[in-house]
Amino acid sequence: QVTNDSIQVEADPFASDSIILNQAVVIGYGSVKKSDLTSAVSSANSKDIMQIASTTAMQSLQGKLAGVNIINTDTPGGTPTVLVRGMGTALGGKAPLYVVDGLIVPNIANINPSDIDKIDVLKDAASSAIYGVRGANGVVVITTKRGKTGKLKVNYDTYFGVRNTMNMVEMADANQYITYFNEQRKATGGSLISTNQKYNTDWFDEMLTTGQIISNNVSLSGAGESINYMFSVNNFEEKGILEGNNFKRTSIRSNNDYKLFDGKLKIKQSVSATFSREIPKPYGAFDVAYRQSPLVPVKYENGRWGLPIFNTTTGEVTYVANAGEVTSNLNSHGNPMATLFYDNQKINTTTIQGNIEAELKLTKGLTITSRTGATKYWYKYREYNPIKEKWIAGNPIRTASEFEGLKAANPTSGTYMNNSLNLNNIETFRWSWENFVTFDRKFGDHSFNVVAGVSAEKTGIGEFSNTTVYDVPDKEQYWSVHHASGDYEASIDQNNYTPVAYASYFARLQYNYANKYYVSGIIRRDGSSQFKNNQQYWGTFPSASVAWNISNEEFLKDSNTISFLKLRGGWGRLGNADVPYNYTTITTATGSDNANYVFGPGQDLVFGAYVGSPAYDVSWEIVEEWSTGLDFELFKGKVTGNLDYYNKTTKNAILSINQILSSPYDKNFVDHAAEVVNKGFEIALNYNNETSGGLRYSIGGNFNYNENEVTYVKPGYAGMTGGSLGNGQIAKRLEAGQPLGSFWLYEVEGVWQTQTDIDNNAHLSSARPGHLRYKDQNGDGVIDDRDKKFMGSYIPKFNYGININLDYKNFDLNISGYGAGGNKIYNGIKNTRLGGENITVDTFNNRWTGAGTSNTNPGSERDQVASSYYLEKGDYFRLSNITLGYNFRDKIDFVKNLRLYVSAQNVFIVTKYSGFTPELTLNNEKGKRYDGSPYGTTGMDFSAYPNVTTFLVGLNVEF
Amino acid sequence: CSNEFLDIASEENIAIDDQATQSPEKYVNGIYGMFTDWDYAFSWLGVTEMISDNADKGSSSTDNGGDKRDLDELLHSSTTGSVEAMWTKFYKTIGRSSYSIKYTTESTITDTEKSRLIGEAKFLRALSYFYLVRMFGDVVIQDLEDASTYSVRQPKAEVYAYIEEDLLDAISKLPLKSEYAAKDLGRATKGAAQGLLAKVYLYQGKNQQAYDMATTVINSGQYDLEADYATTWRVETENGKESLFEIQARGTAVAHGVQQYSETQGARGTGGWGWGFNVPSQNLLDAFNAEGDAIRRDATIIFRGETLYDGRLVPTSVENPMYNEKAYSSANLGSGDGDKNIRVIRFSEMLLIQAEAANEIGQDALSSLNRVRARVKLAPVSGLSKDQLRTKIWNERRLELAFEHDRWFDLVRTGQAKAMMAANGKIFVTGKHELFPIPNAQLIQTPSMTQNPGW
Repeated sequence: QVTNDSIQVEADPFASDSIILNQAVVIGYGSVKKSDLTSAVSSANSKDIMQIASTTAMQSLQGKLAGVNIINTDTPGGTPTVLVRGMGTALGGKAPLYVVDGLIVPNIANINPSDIDKIDVLKDAASSAIYGVRGANGVVVITTKRGKTGKLKVNYDTYFGVRNTMNMVEMADANQYITYFNEQRKATGGSLISTNQKYNTDWFDEMLTTGQIISNNVSLSGAGESINYMFSVNNFEEKGILEGNNFKRTSIRSNNDYKLFDGKLKIKQSVSATFSREIPKPYGAFDVAYRQSPLVPVKYENGRWGLPIFNTTTGEVTYVANAGEVTSNLNSHGNPMATLFYDNQKINTTTIQGNIEAELKLTKGLTITSRTGATKYWYKYREYNPIKEKWIAGNPIRTASEFEGLKAANPTSGTYMNNSLNLNNIETFRWSWENFVTFDRKFGDHSFNVVAGVSAEKTGIGEFSNTTVYDVPDKEQYWSVHHASGDYEASIDQNNYTPVAYASYFARLQYNYANKYYVSGIIRRDGSSQFKNNQQYWGTFPSASVAWNISNEEFLKDSNTISFLKLRGGWGRLGNADVPYNYTTITTATGSDNANYVFGPGQDLVFGAYVGSPAYDVSWEIVEEWSTGLDFELFKGKVTGNLDYYNKTTKNAILSINQILSSPYDKNFVDHAAEVVNKGFEIALNYNNETSGGLRYSIGGNFNYNENEVTYVKPGYAGMTGGSLGNGQIAKRLEAGQPLGSFWLYEVEGVWQTQTDIDNNAHLSSARPGHLRYKDQNGDGVIDDRDKKFMGSYIPKFNYGININLDYKNFDLNISGYGAGGNKIYNGIKNTRLGGENITVDTFNNRWTGAGTSNTNPGSERDQVASSYYLEKGDYFRLSNITLGYNFRDKIDFVKNLRLYVSAQNVFIVTKYSGFTPELTLNNEKGKRYDGSPYGTTGMDFSAYPNVTTFLVGLNVEF
Repeated sequence: CSNEFLDIASEENIAIDDQATQSPEKYVNGIYGMFTDWDYAFSWLGVTEMISDNADKGSSSTDNGGDKRDLDELLHSSTTGSVEAMWTKFYKTIGRSSYSIKYTTESTITDTEKSRLIGEAKFLRALSYFYLVRMFGDVVIQDLEDASTYSVRQPKAEVYAYIEEDLLDAISKLPLKSEYAAKDLGRATKGAAQGLLAKVYLYQGKNQQAYDMATTVINSGQYDLEADYATTWRVETENGKESLFEIQARGTAVAHGVQQYSETQGARGTGGWGWGFNVPSQNLLDAFNAEGDAIRRDATIIFRGETLYDGRLVPTSVENPMYNEKAYSSANLGSGDGDKNIRVIRFSEMLLIQAEAANEIGQDALSSLNRVRARVKLAPVSGLSKDQLRTKIWNERRLELAFEHDRWFDLVRTGQAKAMMAANGKIFVTGKHELFPIPNAQLIQTPSMTQNPGW
């Protein structure tokens, strides 16, 4: 019943993620029939993946795999955040392990989605334990397409789509802005602006354009007596909704299988090359577009960039001032259009990936497999920064000759360079070599499958270099270090990465008796060089699971209702080796720093040193999971489904720890600090039927609920805060009993109506009429941190997806939707509005304008304190896809099938969230954008890329 | 078997074994450096001066300086940032001291060098514990090797005993001021440790010991009063004969000083040069005037409209009527890294400690007191009862040491706080305000720790 990885299954739209009971599931170092599984695995096939046009396959699978939470980003080239069964760590890596054709890879950004035959996600510890110290976040096993027996098959697939933003936030217009601005100025004092202004700029309108998505894919495949082949070329391009933002990828793949010695020796070779080119644009422009005043033009009549300058004497928003008139700024922001215009970045990457595998049948049931694979990656980044042009654009009255004068007067100043050129190169290499034996035999009713092997792997071999030079010629062809001016010293950095090596031993036993009683056990022993510090390289990761196929028992064998019923359960221990590096920080510094001091009559600077923090022993995170599930098929396969329950504990989650205030050291350090529990259930159901009229249809859905809780925090480690608003306010805190990344805020109980009101109640010393009023939770008459409350986390409690397929004659139709809920979003951009920044129409319409006008919404003069007012419900449902296709089967000579389709993706979203998108995965903190740390600004809205709606037309041709 | 395969040498970061070692002196320098931190400017002003009757918050009425208005109005709480900042800063300074002592002890330098460096570190550690115990009462006595000590408050008496032990050891190890090489001017001296110990005794009511220790310093021949009181906080008297210990600052590049100490207190508004916080109160001005003490008044207070000693006119357009002149830097004005050395212990305080202790133990208090008064042309004191003299000395401390970060603790120590704060229109709650609250953030980390009464 157990076969090897090479099993081929035709994609069937009516059985996506369902139980095709004889379908093979790849479980690492082998595969097993779905009906024989003892653990929780969700699967998707090529059809599922290709239904939604996207850069990477995982993005298309949102809402299709129960228990796999995929949070999208619609940025060109962007990759989604994937969480399998909740989040168990704060600082450790959260991404699942990706395995492509048996090869562990760092990510799948280089894999052309059209090349993927199937994806199996190992969700529970009972299955993931085969990947040991790297299995804690689940394992995504990807199998690429291979040639199948038969004639040469040629496929051509193409689509073209246009993208526009959905769910835009309506910003105040000029008149509303003026009213709001002057109201606030009256409350705080300062110059007013006149009510009649020249410009009314809609910044988002100016900034956004229609995006495009284009894909062309050609593949050739087939098989002969001793060779299977598959060759594909794909060209993918995405143009973003910001002018100039662009991502292009070309990938080539060749997968060949060779059979020798009557099939006793099989050699499988897979190789792919992927080239990408990206023109990024600064997404911070979304933040500035939100905040900049509509009174500022994109450009003045004379062609100079608009800026928020106003004449305080006349009240007009203009940079022009006559003698005696004074100008001031409405706010401190620049012109987002100018920012986009001057931004000039380019990223090129090349990824070459390949593996080769030899499988030798020794005797009956005994196979020996050896495989080796490698990935080589090059990354080249270039940024040209036109300092001079930006300086001139920084004020409409500045001139080039003024700049030249300053440049001559300040020959070493970085402010007066013409330009800078930054070049950043990364080169990495990783390889692995695995050898294992498989024994697969049946003795009567006893079936055995045993795999045992060893693996060695080395990753992160490589280097980076970062060079900045100044004053290169303006024309792009001269942007190189060679052409830089000698007037400024170049900045050059180059360093080698420290490679990480893994050595592993693994074994798995699967046994069943008469296809009724199943037992499976895994043990993996992993050594990782990362834990060199304390010489604790090795960890052991076991798992065990059992299953009972009840439908094979006598009493159910002939049931018409229940055609399949299996109960399974298991336990396992996993590791997460993707943890931060720990070292003792000894701080020294040059210049003015609190390590240094001055002594002597001349008060000369002397240098000092101190220990920031000693290193703590850090090891892998340990995850233990219990899970149980039920798979069933009713009414002869019309209804299929499964139910799962799990309880997953991260025993020693690693956090960045603030020093105890009364401790000797002052730098944060990383240590095993907390226990995090994720428990929940998953349901997947699918109904399919065929009417006598020839209509085939299926309705599928899945739902999963996950409860996340920090159950324990090591003494002394509590009180960690995060979620900085960037203005000294924080919005999150760690405490046992709360989910990870919990918001911790003042509770708003109204709006201060009058000064008397304030004087007679507990208040912040900054309180003024029109400000929000915060609840004195402990009743001590003082509003301080002790009055803050935990108010939930940004991590969704539940996700769900629905999927409907209809097939009638030559027509096919797919409708799918996705939703998430139980999560909170902090509207940071709304909270941190400073005077003179723009507001949304909602903020304008609902504001407090004097005693008695509102006890819910603050006035135009408001504070920037983190409070429940800005915490919103993040529940949403998105209709993610409607596709209608028409098939011309055998209508044309030599064309087997031609399918034309139209598709609309992200047609609408239902959400109460008042920002651009409730899907917020990025950390806005500098340099930590993708770490997804629950104690960063993840789940807080600062400058989110909006969701986009895509309309596309496509064509599939099969020759 | 595969450990060899896994033993991969670090290429990104130089392994600790391959790093050049730091000299023990560097770690000691790092302790001093801590006193140049921003908290020793802004937070420190809040918890030592603005809270007292000598100073008001100052600045604009709309600018609270974070929590400075709360401190000025005695509305601070366990989440007041300045209180948390100082609590933390003291412990980090103590940590650097303890680490230096350990590192120096284990190092291979000569015993003479070791002795001095350990002496310096112990002085700085004692100073930090003294600041702590004055503010918070029972506090944690940190053991570098034992994290469990960080959550246990030790009785005040034990903290004082710990301070005394450090200081006695420092006294035995440190050279006299005159014994230091010129390049080391500004390091902790035997005199500094003795002076601090005299103060530590005084705070505990150990009057005989305070008297003896102050007398030792006075008779050491190392120190004397500057002739002109007005110069005691100016550049020309830095590390001069009146100086027992001060925090060093250098105003020219590479500039390094107490972060924005002068800037936060500089005149605010048009024609000003700073933020205008921590301004002299009317109450302090009245106290100078009541004593007829024009010299110290004019040396302590910048009046709006006056011309300063360096010829700078303080225009009438500045926002507040008075500013702290002791924070004024003639050369660096409001530079972030100014040149203002902060006097921590001055010789005149030794005279006042001696006088105060002498009065309690029946020794001659008048000659020291009058020596301080004579410099500022005030008539000698005579013929007062013991109680009258005590009050007189306390008032002398107030005027002599105004804006030198002692007033609040003097008020609490001498039991005058309630009355004096009432006279300044603030409500001092007996049984609560004597101590600052333990920061809430600390209690969250170490829930077993107790809070001070009333908070």
